[in-house]
Amino acid sequence: MPNLRSLVKRRKAIRNIRKITKTMELIATARFKKALDRATEADAYTRKIAELASDLTKSAGDVSHPLLAVRPEVKKTLVLVLTANRGLCGGYNGGVLRAAMGQIREMRAANAAFDLEVSGKRGAAFFKFQQIPAAAVYTHFEDKPQFDEVDAVAQKLIDLYTTGAVDRVIVAYQKFHSIARQAPVVETLLPLSSVAVETTRKGPAPDPAAGPKGSYDFFPDAAGILNELVPVAFKVRLFKCFLDSAVGEQIARRVAMKAATENAGDLIKEVSRLYNRTRQANITKEISELIAGSEALK
Amino acid sequence: MADATNKGLKIVVVTPERAVLDEPADMVVLPMFDGERGILPGHAPFVGQLGPGELRIKLGAATKRYYVDSGFAQVTGGVVNVLTARALTADKVTADMVTKARTAADALPSTNPVERENRTKALARARGLAAVSKKG
Repeated sequence: MPNLRSLVKRRKAIRNIRKITKTMELIATARFKKALDRATEADAYTRKIAELASDLTKSAGDVSHPLLAVRPEVKKTLVLVLTANRGLCGGYNGGVLRAAMGQIREMRAANAAFDLEVSGKRGAAFFKFQQIPAAAVYTHFEDKPQFDEVDAVAQKLIDLYTTGAVDRVIVAYQKFHSIARQAPVVETLLPLSSVAVETTRKGPAPDPAAGPKGSYDFFPDAAGILNELVPVAFKVRLFKCFLDSAVGEQIARRVAMKAATENAGDLIKEVSRLYNRTRQANITKEISELIAGSEALK
Repeated sequence: MADATNKGLKIVVVTPERAVLDEPADMVVLPMFDGERGILPGHAPFVGQLGPGELRIKLGAATKRYYVDSGFAQVTGGVVNVLTARALTADKVTADMVTKARTAADALPSTNPVERENRTKALARARGLAAVSKKG
């Protein structure tokens, strides 16, 4: 028979945990809204860049930029893994790391050289445990990645790529499809597949009738601007990856904490039931002992 | 372009982080990569590359001043779109920022063409910041 006191203590402990998970859920909800707002704001820029790129390609034709060129031989790959700094967000980190690990195993099997860069403490700890050395670890990206910070990383990647230190850059992160659906993916960032940046969020679709057809004055010239536009498109794409992961982390945490709160509620009910049953059993026992005692006295 | 002339001018500034500005203007002066360019209502469609420098927006007697990093400007149908990595109001640019940018740029290595290019860009940024802060 469980001790009554210990049951009370246990119930109290679960209540406390439920309070904490409930609060974390609320915080995650608020942060998720903010992160999503930021991501939506960023979309305006992304869309404009894409518009500009399509206008420019119309005038300049195809461009050859070092960042767009596919290299025939990939000697070294750079893998960038975006994880969270903190846990308690369900399968979020696990999913991204699994996707990254799959990619790494593939490369190991093919005997291809790779460098690993990790963002987030969770990922860093994981790869340390797996004894895969990381070339760089970023832990300063929280739920609000700043463009300046991403810009520094992006510039470094561009430099590594253009100098030929790496021939391919891939990123593993949680892609945001919709509020209800995110999935860990591994994507190739460099070489860039196209200048245009895809947008997954719904916004006003660029109106084909709005823009004047073609005839822009270009300054310096279309090709020159396009050359400058390519690195910007890359940076925006990387920034989007970071924003997507930030949103994904908050959603995952909210869902996980909601489940934890519900489970704690169930557990409290169970422990309460056990407590009441034990209490009743104790009383019954005491009464029957009393009766037995009084019977014996007769 | 006849419809654009009497509609006036609108300036839209967006950075990757947020839409900074969306308002009417009488005249916009853009910091191009090699100088300045004024945009008046009815300007022909135009796409240009911006350099770090001062963006001025005139509306009536008031002039608003912003610092923008390099980026792109697109003028179409009476709307000036400015796409830049950073946009700050000019009073946010302090002498401290200028020195910091300059020392950071000076500290950059220049051993290969890529690094040299980055250094040139960083220096241009510092110069742009300096120009904006001096005026303010």
